[in-house]
Amino acid sequence: MNCADGQEIDVYDNESAIYLLAIDRGRVVGGQRLYPTHAPHMLSEVFGHMTQRGIPRAQHILEWTRYFVVKERRVGRTDCRLLAALQQFCLEEGVTGVTAVVEMWWLPRWHQVGFKVRPLGLPTLIEDQPCIAAEIEISEASLDQVRKLAGLHAPALVRNGRMRPLIDRVPHVAA
Amino acid sequence: MAGQSFDYATEAFDMIDLLDSLASPEEVVDAVARSFTLFGFETFIITGLPHPRESFEQVVLLRKWPIGWFEIYAKYDYIRSDPIIRLCKTTTRPFEWSEAPYDRAEEPKAAEVMDRAVDFGMREGFCLPIHGINGYEACFSMSGAHLDLSPRTKPAVHLMAMYAFERARQLLAPNPQSGAKILTPRECEILVWAANGKSAADTGDILGITERTVTAHIASACQKLEAVNKTQAVARALQYKLIGL
Repeated sequence: MNCADGQEIDVYDNESAIYLLAIDRGRVVGGQRLYPTHAPHMLSEVFGHMTQRGIPRAQHILEWTRYFVVKERRVGRTDCRLLAALQQFCLEEGVTGVTAVVEMWWLPRWHQVGFKVRPLGLPTLIEDQPCIAAEIEISEASLDQVRKLAGLHAPALVRNGRMRPLIDRVPHVAA
Repeated sequence: MAGQSFDYATEAFDMIDLLDSLASPEEVVDAVARSFTLFGFETFIITGLPHPRESFEQVVLLRKWPIGWFEIYAKYDYIRSDPIIRLCKTTTRPFEWSEAPYDRAEEPKAAEVMDRAVDFGMREGFCLPIHGINGYEACFSMSGAHLDLSPRTKPAVHLMAMYAFERARQLLAPNPQSGAKILTPRECEILVWAANGKSAADTGDILGITERTVTAHIASACQKLEAVNKTQAVARALQYKLIGL
């Protein structure tokens, strides 16, 4: 992602977004964003043409975007740790699946770490790269497998402060 | 035509869903053969890319190849001069065989592989490179005499091949990290720091572990790579693409 002033913000960087960050000694070395699918989100607003099989939308399904790892950490375990944090966070919050758009070359990596990935459409070129919209299942089995590859014995997630339970964040409709 | 591309999509999704229910590598070969024949593919191979000390036969996962061709390919160790394999190592995008460059005059063995493949009916081809974590590399290469490859059909083939590869890998490697077995992520991480000039003590400080633990990881990596010291281990890890800089 290019960002001249060190900041790159889009309309989904708002109070509904959740960020899971990889922090090493106070420095952010990777991160990812989760966003509700019951609200307008990137898959529904921008990448709808990539979802011939429909867009899964529910309180317990989040959209997974803005995944990154800083360059010098792309070899090693940072990827696996971020992926483990994703599974653990979703399991703890009662989330059953996440949707994402990624470059196709990510698929074998996800498979290798034990993620169950359901394509939502055929690969489509984005900026000349074949990309795909997919839904990833959240499961204990996937968390176990990715934790193993991440070499994690401790939890994959550290929570600073308290967060309102995710499912309760859904705006209530007056009866 | 929209109708036609919808059919490719349905074929791809049906095939992917079917893969999960298949219990043996042979069933995967049959399922792939059935779907791929619709696109003109007659033969295919799913293979890991061998490290310098591995042979071609050791890394093949699945194949529907003319038996004569498999024998010749193994006998002459063509995998080390095949331009298709070479391109696989440097790209993550699927490509047609005709897009894999080689110099006919300077690389006679590359020309020989491509020419002899034609003798076995493998005139045109399509190849999907696979790059996993921890340096695992593989490819899914498919061919036939007349292929139906277009911007409409390629995405369906790409997706089916990716999932067929994954199913083959699962069925053939009960240990799902077969590709990762070579070095652990920690060993890779430590070799990268070594490649960047860090001592064991520096690396220990960076990773928050003791120097002794770092040394133990390096020793383990040396053993796996048959290296006599850290320098050779780093060189081999780079050579085998287990680490990058």
